[in-house]
Amino acid sequence: MKCSKCGNPKVIIKREQSGQLLCKDCFIESIEKKVIKTVRKEKLLDKGDKVLVALSGGKDSVTTLEILNSFRKMNVIDICAVTVDEGIDNYRQDGVDIAIRHAKRLGIEHKVVSLKDEYGITLDEIMQRENHKGSCSYCGVFRRTIINKAAREMGATKIATGHNLDDEVQAIMMNYLEGNTDNLTKLGAKTESKAEEFTVKIKPLREIPEREIGIYVVAKELEVHFDSCPYAMQSFRGEVSEVINQLAEKHPTIKYSTLRGYDKIKGILKDGLEKDYAHGRCEKCGEPSANRLCKACSFLEELGCD
Amino acid sequence: MSFILKYKSMEEKRDLPNDDYTIKDLLDDMDLSPQTIVSKQNGDLVIEDTVINDGDEIQLVQIIYGG
Repeated sequence: MKCSKCGNPKVIIKREQSGQLLCKDCFIESIEKKVIKTVRKEKLLDKGDKVLVALSGGKDSVTTLEILNSFRKMNVIDICAVTVDEGIDNYRQDGVDIAIRHAKRLGIEHKVVSLKDEYGITLDEIMQRENHKGSCSYCGVFRRTIINKAAREMGATKIATGHNLDDEVQAIMMNYLEGNTDNLTKLGAKTESKAEEFTVKIKPLREIPEREIGIYVVAKELEVHFDSCPYAMQSFRGEVSEVINQLAEKHPTIKYSTLRGYDKIKGILKDGLEKDYAHGRCEKCGEPSANRLCKACSFLEELGCD
Repeated sequence: MSFILKYKSMEEKRDLPNDDYTIKDLLDDMDLSPQTIVSKQNGDLVIEDTVINDGDEIQLVQIIYGG
């Protein structure tokens, strides 16, 4: 068995979707080239952008930072990063420490924002409340709000997240199966909001399978936080992911075809179904909101954290 | 005929059941999905079809977690 590109017998991956065999160097190069291709094809970056990387310290965000840094080295963009500390004992601190070390290694502006400092409550404390709505609901909303705020404070023109091919395909299928056509219009490599307070979000790893990102960080010996969130439970996303992965065993190109199919109909979906809201502002924090309170402030009110 | 297995905090010596025992066979025996694991043989990344040799150090790294 030899690398399909250079003939090196030390093969580290066999790509089921293409039958390609790759050695370490050719694999690393192929991932970096593919991300750069996505950035160019989807016009994710403009010269002079200041990109805020949402850096958890996990494999996806560290890879995003690592590859976007090549554009920084070429003086195309500037990079900064934010890490959200949700306040999860015996889990989050390792990721925060790793994020701090990567930011220091690359010499980029970085801030860590905790839910405790921002809202006076940790996710662990929320989960002790009897009336809680599930960890992922709070985590998603608070994290999004903190990242958007950090982007404004740090003067970022783009927010880069580590969403990979598996994340994106799961989101397409979940929203379709749930009939959530509103969310279905918001996916894609680049999402812009009509509200000017919301910074443009980009997903440079959107075409890279999750497994390949894992292999990339191990091959490049990048320090990442490999662990499972203690609040991760059997979610609908998990069930959808299982079905897609089962299908992918017999049909290895199915994740790419789902993504390509979505990209073809996305324009029509947006034209026909996109809602025009967020003209209003949250009474409490002033963030864009369709209702009296934004989702974060509405959660805080329910939790008695006013 | 044996090899050293490293997985998470575990490190143990395991017997090689046969001459053509692969990492894929090991993952099957441990009930681990090849989709969530990358494997190293004596420090080098390898694919699951790789045959484990006498005296090898096999390290399994879980790269995908649920949730």
